Amino acid sequence: MPMMNGRICVFDLSSGESSEEPLENSFVVAKGLSTEVARHISSAHGGGCLVLGSGILTGSPMPAACAGFVWCERGVAPVLGHAGLELKLSGFDFVVIKGVSDEPGYLWVRDGMTEFVPSPGLKGRDTWARTDKVRDDQGDRRIHVLAAGPWGDAGLACSQLVCDHWGGEDKAGLAAELGRRNLVAVAFKGMGEIAVSEPAAHFESCVSLHSETRAKLGASSGIASYFGGADREDFRAITHRPLGCYGCPYPCRTFVKVREDPRQMALVEKEPGYLHYDIPALRLCFSLGLDARGATDVLTACARAGAEPIAVLSHCSSAAGTVDPSAVSRLLGAPRELGPPPADRLAGEVMRSFDDDAMDRAVLGLGLCPRFWSKAGLGHESLSACIVTALGTGVPIR
Amino acid sequence: MNRDSVITPMSSSIILHIDDKANYFGLVLKTRGDGLVLGRPEGASEGQQPSGSGGPGAKPILLREPCDLCGGDPKCPKLCPTGCITAVD
Repeated sequence: MPMMNGRICVFDLSSGESSEEPLENSFVVAKGLSTEVARHISSAHGGGCLVLGSGILTGSPMPAACAGFVWCERGVAPVLGHAGLELKLSGFDFVVIKGVSDEPGYLWVRDGMTEFVPSPGLKGRDTWARTDKVRDDQGDRRIHVLAAGPWGDAGLACSQLVCDHWGGEDKAGLAAELGRRNLVAVAFKGMGEIAVSEPAAHFESCVSLHSETRAKLGASSGIASYFGGADREDFRAITHRPLGCYGCPYPCRTFVKVREDPRQMALVEKEPGYLHYDIPALRLCFSLGLDARGATDVLTACARAGAEPIAVLSHCSSAAGTVDPSAVSRLLGAPRELGPPPADRLAGEVMRSFDDDAMDRAVLGLGLCPRFWSKAGLGHESLSACIVTALGTGVPIR
Repeated sequence: MNRDSVITPMSSSIILHIDDKANYFGLVLKTRGDGLVLGRPEGASEGQQPSGSGGPGAKPILLREPCDLCGGDPKCPKLCPTGCITAVD
């Protein structure tokens, strides 16, 4: 079964029981997009499920085949970095979560197993504390953690799910879906392997596609390559380095440090820093008069609280078009419903990379990063060759 | 240990992962009295104390096959998305 595990995990939080279901490759290819498969699986289980999944191309060595996702009926959020890849390598193509747990805890997925770990002490704690505790508990600092914060615990539409400490992917308030299930986080580690249909041909087609996209795009300046507003002196002054997701030749993420020399090689020395890739939130920070340090502080605080920063900043901004960071701090300490982030301020988010929303979903549904592929363009002949040699067949983009 | 015979039957387990040796994994036993017993390609050792919570347990972890440079024609430099990996003699 090329590029797939062929297995779905279904975890019922109400009973604490997990089960497995087979997944046919032909079914996924027929549907084309894994996000649509997620919808189908949720319906088959009575609807209202939270589904973690990866695309049929996730994990291929082709450029930016890094995307997994979290899906529920209220929306979808990409899971990028190396987390989307490892979600697939954990042994399942989809993890379906249904029901409500009696006690707070996290779901721990690895090596084709899933278990619920009760963690009452994590309820109410911020996303960074949850991420660190899960990694400490399981003895591995490389475990990926999707964490809801206090705003997700409160079930707010203006919450955001935070992946490995960093915010920006979730603009659909999916942390609230964890909160209402008494789930403080989902953790996963992927060490499995996936097969491709024609390994040698796939490798060569991927090398060609990497060459083509590198020749077209050149070297990346991180988030500034996707958002010109970040190409400013105060942002450059705190830049540590661009950081790519799995297989990405043109990274859109920039790691910054605000309280120590950003030129240190160590990613973590005294301060953890922050990984910027939330373009619409950063744009809004700058438009409200925050400098690069102030914007980083605000976005860090929002990520820790599990609060969506555009909704927070929109609420805290004054009539004069400025924002007081202390007002943001006060608000983050007392979660309240602000509604989802205003749609007219979401330009540049990962799921609005193409002009056409359907195209964003289509590209994500294949396991590719919409932001990168909107930049690189989908018109490469090598792209089709990569898909066919990976799967043994073509798939519709739409 | 053969990767085909690896099983992962226990949940109260921990993973040995050494940061400066990527993909270096071994077998870890977490005991009540002796701390960690580590089974690694270099041999067995004991006495280290665990940092995580949870009771005794064990878990065999995939032992990665050593890199053979793809039989002399390393592929990772060709696919490195940022050109950071190069092959040298």
